[in-house]
Amino acid sequence: MAATTPVDRLTPGDHACLTFTDPEERLDILAAFVAAGNGRGERIICFTDAIGVDGLRAELLNRGLEAGRELTVIDSDRMWGGGSGPDAGTMVELLAHEMAQADRDGRAGLRITADMCWAARPQANAEQLLVFESEVGRLFAAGRLTAICEYDRESFDPVTLAYAARVHPRTVAATVYHEDPVLRICRQHVPPGVRVAGELDYARAGVLSDALAEAVRLDHDVHLNLNNLHFIDAGAAAVILRAAAHLPDTRRMIVICPEPIERTLTAAGAAAVPALRMLVRDGER
Amino acid sequence: MASAELTGAGQPTHKDPPTRSSEILLEQAFTEDSLYGVRAAVAAHVATVAGKRDVDTMVLIAHELASNAVRHGGGTGRLRLWLAEGALHCEVSDTGAGLKDPALAGHTLPAPSLPGGRGLWIARQLSELRIAASTAGTTVTATVLL
Repeated sequence: MAATTPVDRLTPGDHACLTFTDPEERLDILAAFVAAGNGRGERIICFTDAIGVDGLRAELLNRGLEAGRELTVIDSDRMWGGGSGPDAGTMVELLAHEMAQADRDGRAGLRITADMCWAARPQANAEQLLVFESEVGRLFAAGRLTAICEYDRESFDPVTLAYAARVHPRTVAATVYHEDPVLRICRQHVPPGVRVAGELDYARAGVLSDALAEAVRLDHDVHLNLNNLHFIDAGAAAVILRAAAHLPDTRRMIVICPEPIERTLTAAGAAAVPALRMLVRDGER
Repeated sequence: MASAELTGAGQPTHKDPPTRSSEILLEQAFTEDSLYGVRAAVAAHVATVAGKRDVDTMVLIAHELASNAVRHGGGTGRLRLWLAEGALHCEVSDTGAGLKDPALAGHTLPAPSLPGGRGLWIARQLSELRIAASTAGTTVTATVLL
């Protein structure tokens, strides 16, 4: 059984599997992984599929990470060099080549993220995925390659997901404060804070209060991501206002939310809390 | 029906629920465990007659009134939703001890550092609110112009 690790605890040489259902969670973990690579002076390549190259660049930029010489975002197709279909041998060769390039550039190592959703397509051969995940293992032995392979739980069957979890020495997961069928509250890494998705009312406001208390302890400014929150009531809004009102003068709580949530927070008295900043994300997501 | 026995401030007006059941969009009893279902039902029914913004507004008001009934009005209540004269009306009644100061309730916003107490305030920000209370219970009717 693979050990579950928060993304900020991964160390060079780790080969981790990220299974996700919430796209925001995937992007948050990717951003934290990329930021850690920047901090270590590594060469970073993000192989992307479900999200287009420009889309992922924009999402990373939103989180303060700019693609440039050290951070490359490219299509997953490029992993198999434009051949007729995914070939595990080609992919492992490519990674070995990129690692040698990182050495020549004087980088501390190579860090990759790979969206594996190509492997769920009809033209792909699931067998190649399994060969790839096993073969690539030897590249990690030297401790200079670090990788996260992303598996969208909705694209893969349980057998493949179970195999993927087994061939990866680690699985990466968000730190979850609360999860039930209508509400999920977890820690957000980049920017640091709390992410809430679903519907939140007074009955669960205590869990949010605890999550915010941890963010207040750990972070200077507290980022509260409510982008996928569809409902909030007065009781839960009061918990947010209260946490922001108790911050010391120099600190802020930054709430990112859709317009209806902003309206409720405003009606609950957000304007009376100077430490609270609300950013309305435009458009429906 | 609980509301028929009330002798509070509200006089019968056009805002009272229609007597013919065909004009009522939704009528349901609720407890603490069914607030999620109340929100979903209100959203579905308001969406048949109004846009997204009004749906969000009515869902929030219905939830606040219903959760007040659950927390302070004896734990259960009844919600009715109807459309009349270009406005949506949501009536929530309970058979609890009765709200103490119906005329004053929800007219002041608590300080941000204090927990709770914002439900009726929010409902008043977003709708025209009538509160009738007696020892037999509380009935709150919110009206949102479409």
